[in-house]
Order: sequence, then C-alpha cells, then structure tokens
Amino acid sequence: MTGSALQIRGLRKAFPKVVAVDGVDLDVARGEVFGLLGPNGAGKTTTLEIIEGLTTADAGDIEILGLTWAERGQEIRARIGVQLQSTSLFNKITPREALDLYGSYYPKRRSTSELLDLVQLQEKADAYHITLSGGQQQRLALALALVNDPELVFLDEPTTGLDPQARRSLWDVVRRMKAEGRTVMLTTHYMDEAEALCDRLAIMDHGKVIATGTPASLISDLAIPSVVELTFEGDAPEPAAFAARLEQAVERRADLWEIPTPDPKALLPRLLEAAESAAVPFQQVHIRRATLEDVFLHRTGRSLRE
Amino acid sequence: MMLWRQFAMEWRLYRRDRVAMFWTFAFPVVLLLGFGTIFRDGGGPKLSVVRVQAPAPGPQDTALDQALVDVQLKVQALPKTEAEARWSRGETAAQLETDGAGYRLRLNSYLMAQAGATAGLVNQAWLMAQARLNGSPEPQRIPVSVESPGHKHSANYAAFLLPGLLGLNLVSMGLFSVGMVNVSYREKGKFRRLAVTPLPKWIFLLGQVLHRLTVTVVQAAILLLVGRLVFGIENQGSFVDLFLIMTLGTGCFMAFGFALSGFAETSEGYAAISNLVFFPLMLLSGVYFTLDSAPAWLQHAVAMAPLAPFLRALRAVFNDGGSLAGHGAGLAIVAAWGLAAFALAVRRFRWA
Ligand SMILES: Nc1ncnc2c1ncn2[C@@H]1O[C@H](COP(=O)(O)OP(=O)(O)O)[C@@H](O)[C@H]1O
Ligand SMILES: [Mg+2]
Repeated sequence: MTGSALQIRGLRKAFPKVVAVDGVDLDVARGEVFGLLGPNGAGKTTTLEIIEGLTTADAGDIEILGLTWAERGQEIRARIGVQLQSTSLFNKITPREALDLYGSYYPKRRSTSELLDLVQLQEKADAYHITLSGGQQQRLALALALVNDPELVFLDEPTTGLDPQARRSLWDVVRRMKAEGRTVMLTTHYMDEAEALCDRLAIMDHGKVIATGTPASLISDLAIPSVVELTFEGDAPEPAAFAARLEQAVERRADLWEIPTPDPKALLPRLLEAAESAAVPFQQVHIRRATLEDVFLHRTGRSLRE
Repeated sequence: MMLWRQFAMEWRLYRRDRVAMFWTFAFPVVLLLGFGTIFRDGGGPKLSVVRVQAPAPGPQDTALDQALVDVQLKVQALPKTEAEARWSRGETAAQLETDGAGYRLRLNSYLMAQAGATAGLVNQAWLMAQARLNGSPEPQRIPVSVESPGHKHSANYAAFLLPGLLGLNLVSMGLFSVGMVNVSYREKGKFRRLAVTPLPKWIFLLGQVLHRLTVTVVQAAILLLVGRLVFGIENQGSFVDLFLIMTLGTGCFMAFGFALSGFAETSEGYAAISNLVFFPLMLLSGVYFTLDSAPAWLQHAVAMAPLAPFLRALRAVFNDGGSLAGHGAGLAIVAAWGLAAFALAVRRFRWA
C-alpha cells in the first residue's frame, strides 16, 4: 500500500462573492490520515466536495487512486467512502436498513453487522434514525462511509457539535480505519483533533494552503516552540507598554497574555522582574509547548477559533 | 433489482409516516363521507320546500299543500319557530309561509340552484291550487325531474364529489408528494449523499415515481370502493377510458411537481409557491362545486387551467358514462400543461 492516494494540482473554485479554493496543491499518500485544518469558511468543504465529484472546479487537476473523474467516475465512486458535513437520512429509517440500502448501491460491500460492531451501534440497530443521539447519528454516517470497504475515506468535520466523549469514540473509529489500511482525509477546525488523529496536515485559510507537514514538524518549524502565559482575574489588560518594556511580543487573549519564546528558561526571570516593577496584577504563570493553534496564529495573525 | 429495492424501501418508509398516510388515504375518504352525507338531501332526487304551518289552516292552505305534493315537491311542514331555526342555520333552500291572505316564498341566496327550481314549482302549485278552488280547469303543467346529465345517477352530491376528489388527489400528489419531497431532499442534501454512491440517479427517481404511482392507484381504489359501498356510486363509463384519463392526469400533475420544485430553494419557499398554485386550483376548478355563477372571464380562465377540463372529462366518463372522444379539446389542454411542465422540469430540475 504505497504510492499516492490523491494528487491535486492548482485547484481553484470561485463563487460569485468569494474565491473558496484558491490554487490548492495536495498530495496524500496511501495509508495515511491526512487532515485539512482551518477556520470556518477556509474552503475545506469546497475542496473536499470537488475531490468527491460533487462540485466542479474552475481549474485544477485531480487524480484519485490513480483515476480521474472524467474517465473513471463510476469506479472512483465505488472505491471511495464519503461522509458529508451533514448527512441527512430519513427520520424513520433504522441504522440496519440504511446500511443495507446503501450497501446495495455498491458492487463490493461489508456486512451490516460488522459495520454496526465497528461503530458500536448494535443496540441501536433497529431504532429509528431520529431517535439516535448526535454522536450515534455521526457514527452511523461514518459506518455508511465504510459500506463499500473503501480504499479512501473522506470525512468532513466528523466531530463538530459532539461532546468530548462522543468525539473520543469517533476518533477510535478513525484510528481503526487507518489500522485497516485505509487512507483517510478529514477536515476539522479543532487543532487537538488534528494533532491527535492526523499523520500529516494541510492548514488552510482563505482558500489557500498556508502550511503542510506532520503536526510535530509544523510546531517545531515555529521558531518559538514554547509559550509563556500570564493569567489574570477577569480580562487581561492592554499589553503594549509591557511588551515594549520587555522587548518581546505579547498577545492578549481574553484573560491572559501569551508570550511566545524560543527559550522560556532565559525569558522567565526577566519576565517576572519586569512584571514586578510594572506592578502587573497577574495571577499565575504557565509555560506550555506551542500547539497548532500557535502555528495558525503565527502564520495568519488570527486565531483558529474566530 | 436496484429499482425494486429502491421502490420497496420507499413503501416501507412511507408506511411509517402516519401523517402522510392520513392525508393521502384517510382524508379524501373523510371528505367524501362527510360532505356526501351532509349534502345527501340537498341535491337529492326531489326538490324540497319548507312549509311553515299555518296557525289555522283554511281551504286555501289545504289546496296549496296538496298541489305542492302533486308537482312532486318534497314538503317539510314545520311549526314557525322550528322553520325559522332551520332557516337561520342555512339548511333551507326555500321556505313557504302564509302572509296575510296570500303567501311568501323566501329563497336562500346561497343555494340558488335548488331554490330557483323550487320557486318555479311552488308557483305552478299555486296556480293549480287556485284553479281547483275556483273550479276552473287545471292549467297544463310541464313535469320537472332532477337527474344527472347521463341519466345514470340520481344527482347525488357524493357522486359529483368523488371524481373531484380523485382529481384533487392527483394534484396534491404532484405538488406535495413529488415537488415538496424533492425540494426537501435537495435542501437537506439527500441527493448529494446519493450522488457520491454509484447508484444511477435515474433509478432513485424512477423508484420514487413508481412509488407515487402505486400510492395513487391505492388511493383511487379506496375512494371508489367507499363510494360504491356507502353511496352506491359506480363508474358509469368504460374502465379503459377511466384508466386512460387518470393516467393522463397523473402524468400531468406529477410533471407539475417536478417542474415547480425547480423554482424554490427552500422548503418554505416551495410551500409558498405550491399553495399559490394549489388553492386556486382546488377552489376554482370544480372539485367541490361548479362555478356557474362566477363571472365569465373567471370561468374562461379556469377552463384553461389543467384541473377543470380534467374533471369535466373525468365526470363525463365516471358519472355519465360518456366517452372521452367528445372531450378532445379539454384533454388536449391537460396534455399541453403536462408537456409544458415536463419540459420545464427537465430544464429546471436540480440535484443540489
Ligand atoms: N454553494 C456556495 N455558494 C456560494 N458560496 C459558497 C458556497 N459554498 C461555499 N461558499 C463559500 O465559500 C467559502 C468556503 O466555504 P467552505 O468550503 O464551506 O469552508 P469550510 O468548509 O472550510 O468552512 C465560504 O466563504 C463560503 O461562504
Ligand atoms: Mg465545512
């Protein structure tokens, strides 16, 4: 299982008011979990839907499993699995029926009971879709993306709107997919999810890929792999004067100041001394490793969560 | 095989949708039973008049009452208070009461068809009664009978209503079961989820269409059965003609639904558009009553819309045992609407 699962060059899609995808190049290797990380409106869904054959691009070339849509569309459909950003099923269809029905659309299929096991929906196999919890509905959508035993699976925001426990159980299913040798491409705007699940990532913003790499390399490529945080009671004060005194960039985020640094050990004594003499009313000091959040902040000047 | 699976799943899910089942199968039957029973007498074989009982009936009253019966009127003699109560409930078409030395006839402006005919008979009876009292020769009178145009039914309202409901079912099937459902599938992304599978889309749509067709057949069969068992209404024409015209109507209104669904982005938008089409069609096309007293321009307009000519031809076959041959122009209008809608549907239908 080596070689390329997906190769994209110069992908572009403009809507009347916005260029949703603006010259995207991506390579996904077979067997890896590849993430598209970016804030809402970055163009993740549009990119994915072009790859899935739902939207036509204005420009660009796509090769999926060595095939192109123009020549081998039906074969691509048979070999990929798709979970759309929102999957709408009939209110009164049961998971078992839905899996049987969608399975019947494919030449090759996995057994319904095996899939129900995989996403732990055996107990709910005969309950109406509308009675399932959000997490259960999402797991069913995942199982539906696997009915044809696909080589390449696309998951669009698989955990958005779920509680932490439901997210964890979904992550397990994704890891299982990888263990079974499938290639997975997913989108998310949660950086912890990207870090926990993805072998490699592309960070997207305003239709462009602004960085690609493994989560670890993206973070270590930051010249400033650590962040010192000063927390305040209530909103943090304006940091400009303090930043000038410290000769160091200070970001204000709600109730804290963030000070990125390559060398926290050297910064800390200076920081405490400066804070003391300026009578900064901070409560606590934390030192943490930089995260993908900081990578995004550093590249765009904005936070992922905005 | 794929088609069969799709069709079977449509039926299975449909059977779980109680609300749709009610509106599709039970509601038309409720309408037929309800209205058919309420208006059973109103359009019955005899015209009727309410006779307010005179406090002290004289020979003139006796002669008139006898004459009313002789002209084949159904006479309901009621005391004044009861007659007034019935009148104000709007159930009386014509009410005859003693007024001094003469009489007064009140006609219900809402029921002019019956009331007008009744007035003619009451006046005949009055001439007859006067002649009898005076001992002069009785005037010759022209006998009046109330019949359906094809002489087959006794002008039962249920018999008029049933074909109307058959037609209305087709319209609501097209506008709601087809049009509305397609808009909501598009809006909720069900079409998109299908589009990433290898299932050919035409199989999905054909499965849906076949399901709606069988629903329509079952629905019509239920109505016909209830009409026959409860009201004794039977198809007076040939079943081949009935089948042909129902097929034409089904095709026309189903195409309507597909076409209209291309004009709305959301379910709410579609609800507005479809109701704008549905209510005028339902109210003006002669489903429940004829438009004889409407202004001429409106009657002409309605005759060009698809439902009225469809119902006219359907009633000609079903109620009067006529053949479709005489309704070529009307059927051509229905077919033209169907073809126009189909062309529009092909152009406007969208999956996403
Ligand atoms: N069908 C569409 N018509 C017009 N604009 C669209 C459409 N789909 C997406 N967009 C716009 O394209 C941009 C990218 O959207 P999307 O791909 O959904 O982003 P993401 O999935 O990263 O949140 C957004 O500005 C969005 O408003
Ligand atoms: Mg999205």
